Amino acid sequence: MLTFANNPLLLYGLPLIGVPVLIHLINLLRHRRVQWAAMEFLLASQKKNSSWIRFKELLLLLLRMLAVAAVVLIVAQPRLWDELGRFFGGGKTQHIVLLDDSFSMADRWGDTSAFQEARQVVERLGQALADEPLDQTFTLLRFSRAGRGQDGSPPDLLQAQVNTDFGQRLKDVLRPMRPSQLASGPAPALEAIEQLLGEAKDEDRVVYVVSDFRANEWNDSEELPKILGRLDQSRVHLRLINCVDTAHPNLGIVDLQPAGGTQAAGVPLYFDVTVKNFGSNEAEGVSVLLQEDGQPRPALAIEKLAPGESETRRFAAFFPTAGEHVVAASLGTDTLATDNVRFTLVDLPVSAPVLLIDGAADSLNARYLAAALSPGGAVKTGLDPQIEPTSYLNQNQSLDKFAAIFLLDVDRLDPAAVKTLEEYVAGGGGLGFFMGDRCRAPFYNDKLYREGQGLFPLPLIAKTQLLVDRLERGADFEFTDHPIFKVFEGERNSYLSAVTIDWYFSSPKNWAPPADSSTKVIARLRNGAPLAVERKFGDGRVTAILTTAAPQWNNWSRNPSFVVAALELESYLAMRPALDANRAVGAPIELELDPAHYQPQVRLIAPADRRTDEPRGATDQAPALEGGTLAVTATSKEGETNLRASFPAAAKSGVYELQLTKTDNQPVIRHLAFNVQAAEGDLTTVGAAALAERLKGVRYEYAQANDFQWAAHEMAGSNLSEWILYLLVGLMLGEQALAYSASYHPGKEAVR
Amino acid sequence: MPDSKRFLHPEAIKRIARLDLRARHIVEGFLSGSHRSPYFGQSIEFLQHREYVTGDDMRHIDWKVWAKQNRYYVKQYEEDTNLRCTLLVDVSGSMRYGSGPLNKYEYASTIAVSLAYLLLRQQDAVGCVPFDDAVRTTVPLRSKRNHLDSIIAALDVSQPKQKTDIYRILRHVAESYPRRGMVLLVSDLLVDRTGLIKGLQLLRRQGHDVMVFHVMDDDELDFPFKGPTRFEGLEIPEHLSCNPRALREGYLAAVGAFLEEVRRGCARNTVDYALVRTSESLDAVLASYLNRRLGMHHRN
Repeated sequence: MLTFANNPLLLYGLPLIGVPVLIHLINLLRHRRVQWAAMEFLLASQKKNSSWIRFKELLLLLLRMLAVAAVVLIVAQPRLWDELGRFFGGGKTQHIVLLDDSFSMADRWGDTSAFQEARQVVERLGQALADEPLDQTFTLLRFSRAGRGQDGSPPDLLQAQVNTDFGQRLKDVLRPMRPSQLASGPAPALEAIEQLLGEAKDEDRVVYVVSDFRANEWNDSEELPKILGRLDQSRVHLRLINCVDTAHPNLGIVDLQPAGGTQAAGVPLYFDVTVKNFGSNEAEGVSVLLQEDGQPRPALAIEKLAPGESETRRFAAFFPTAGEHVVAASLGTDTLATDNVRFTLVDLPVSAPVLLIDGAADSLNARYLAAALSPGGAVKTGLDPQIEPTSYLNQNQSLDKFAAIFLLDVDRLDPAAVKTLEEYVAGGGGLGFFMGDRCRAPFYNDKLYREGQGLFPLPLIAKTQLLVDRLERGADFEFTDHPIFKVFEGERNSYLSAVTIDWYFSSPKNWAPPADSSTKVIARLRNGAPLAVERKFGDGRVTAILTTAAPQWNNWSRNPSFVVAALELESYLAMRPALDANRAVGAPIELELDPAHYQPQVRLIAPADRRTDEPRGATDQAPALEGGTLAVTATSKEGETNLRASFPAAAKSGVYELQLTKTDNQPVIRHLAFNVQAAEGDLTTVGAAALAERLKGVRYEYAQANDFQWAAHEMAGSNLSEWILYLLVGLMLGEQALAYSASYHPGKEAVR
Repeated sequence: MPDSKRFLHPEAIKRIARLDLRARHIVEGFLSGSHRSPYFGQSIEFLQHREYVTGDDMRHIDWKVWAKQNRYYVKQYEEDTNLRCTLLVDVSGSMRYGSGPLNKYEYASTIAVSLAYLLLRQQDAVGCVPFDDAVRTTVPLRSKRNHLDSIIAALDVSQPKQKTDIYRILRHVAESYPRRGMVLLVSDLLVDRTGLIKGLQLLRRQGHDVMVFHVMDDDELDFPFKGPTRFEGLEIPEHLSCNPRALREGYLAAVGAFLEEVRRGCARNTVDYALVRTSESLDAVLASYLNRRLGMHHRN
């Protein structure tokens, strides 16, 4: 099938083919008359050459008419759509539009935004294609959908046939679309398209990447040039359309999380909030608005923030009641609003139980430590020390409820107890050791240290006396730069210098922490022997203090610094990774429920639309988790039946509410905080030059959204114009040669 | 310039007056003997003495000089020939073509009148026969100075006709001028070649010294036309619309063949032939021709 991109031009242009004939007729009328004497010779020549001349002149006329026809055809842009067309490189055309809807596309300037520009580009493209009566299909895939994998996120349009009303249809599809809060890059979308396209068939494939081309997505990805290269090699036309003209200044909250310390009701809780300036100019007078459970708190002010720099501020929050509490930080409106807000969630117990296992019957060490952790009276530390004998660990009960566990002067543990402790620590728990007279090196070395494989961070030798040095008047121990001892930094804290260590548990002289391990000596005695050593075990931490907690081997517990150090130690050990606070938008929501306690019914309430930057009434139509009820599937694992609830993904930042029901019909409400990926807030664009560098060897076309005016005929079918152009050149050459041969060209001699 | 004087271009006449026109063949026996001097005949006006050389006629020896110097000198006189020159001028329609300042007719007439003037100055008898389809008029041979006016009047033809039978015209001339003389044919020769050659042959046979000035326009020789052109015959009713460049090659070939045929025909009959372009300077053409003629005379 032959079609023309510019049909009207063809209609108007075709009569032009008659122009050479017309010129010929006009020339006949314009004949110069010459009264000629030597007619005899002229007639002789005419008689001799007339047939040949007439033939050449007719041929010349034909060539000129063909040349005019070729010019008309070139302008009319003919396209061929059949087997012959495939010979010229065309046929059916697939248009695949990958629409970037990551939240950086919410970048606003003037009265438009990157996403709005992108939407208009796609609309224009759709309309241009719809104006073409060609065999074309259209696929529209948003980055956010591709990023969700194959779990039921089909493209918005999948190989939709382009017909005359396609423009309107596409507009209807595009109208409700808004930028997501995801940080989806182009790679997943391109990979999905690569799979969708498969091998090259007898069709043209055009992939349009309509994006903002942020530097952080394109500069760091090794994968993108490879995917684009593969697409290019499989004869896919790549068209990259940039929707932003320049990078706009943007501030974003890149981090908000508890700063550590005891997390319990009624105890001040510290949070760190980090603000980053993604722009290229210094930001002044940045105000960070804070909310505790929705109640505004005094804002933090950052006077100046240099470009590219981030600033972390610590603030204290106070929640008198136990339970889940939300802390939110937000910035004022700027070009990109999505990264101006961040949430974190803390689940505060009334008090944090701390398990103290003491090997001695009198629990002397434990009592000293308990006194330090929970002094009682008006002082509230939020800790609830629980002193138990070693046999407590054999009762096969979960230790997860304890914020931290301390083993004090423990002589031995059953293997089961050791295993329980290891599981506890590996799962993120904190374990502290204090030595005592009952401790024996062989047990610690064989059962707990196990050549570095066990819980204990170092091998032991024996209880050793720290010899008194009469000449040395310095402190008995010195500490390193460590969170536990951070409060003692500075010369004003002279309490530690009054601490005297008499006995300690020594380690082999040549022992040093393996270089590749997490083991660290955080405090040493004045003779260089380790006093406090820590290591990581699984997700948890272990800290060993190689002396007693009670004032048996030292006088530390009588020193006020002991209370501070004990509380810091507990805080340090209890600092579990705040998993909930770090959930990113787009991550699937999964939870496992114990069928013994919960009914198989979960209701998820999405966060209310708190953001004010979006136009009112607009809703995100992404198949995101807006809330709803989900039947929980039962899964069987190792004889245990667990209930697993799985929601596709969180589409918005904020605090989600999970409504569970216990078996006794008691409702339980849990919360999950989701935040956007901060790096997406970096609005630096990669730029055409850098992009060309990145995509060296890949054929692609790059255009700004404003300049995107490609007409469909440039994209669909096999355009014969080029071939006709060659034909035209041939015709013109032939015409010239023939005209010369027919003596229509002046020679060297003068002519009249 | 008055119409009757338009063929007397003073510059041309002035240049030619410095040359002597000599007939190649001395008509009607001015010279006798096989060793006669071709240049110096019997005359009234003495020109010079020259030392005798073998072969000179003894009659011309100046015995008085011999008596004084004991050397043989011959006396040389200015020649006083009785040249009869008939100007045969083509005034037919085809001669009206011209691309330059003068058309062929004007050019031919100018040549004819210039020659007539020159000849009349030497007291030679000049006649004139303008012709187209037939002899228009016959101006008899006279040597009076005022005879030139008659010639000019005869050449002034306002309504030219086409040439038909050149042989008939030449025969008419041959019959009209039975005495040997000189016949100058000034024409574009666009006539039947056979008749032309035959006619020239006839004139030669009668003993006439025949010279042909073949007047052609540059356009006719070079055919420089371009663009669609309608050629309309000056003498024949036919016309032709064509792209002249396409026909040029064939045309030039035909013209070449024509010129060659005429040239050969002339040479065969010892007729002096000169192709004259109307663009060439008139006096230069005459001067160069007369020089050539003189040179040929010297060779005799």
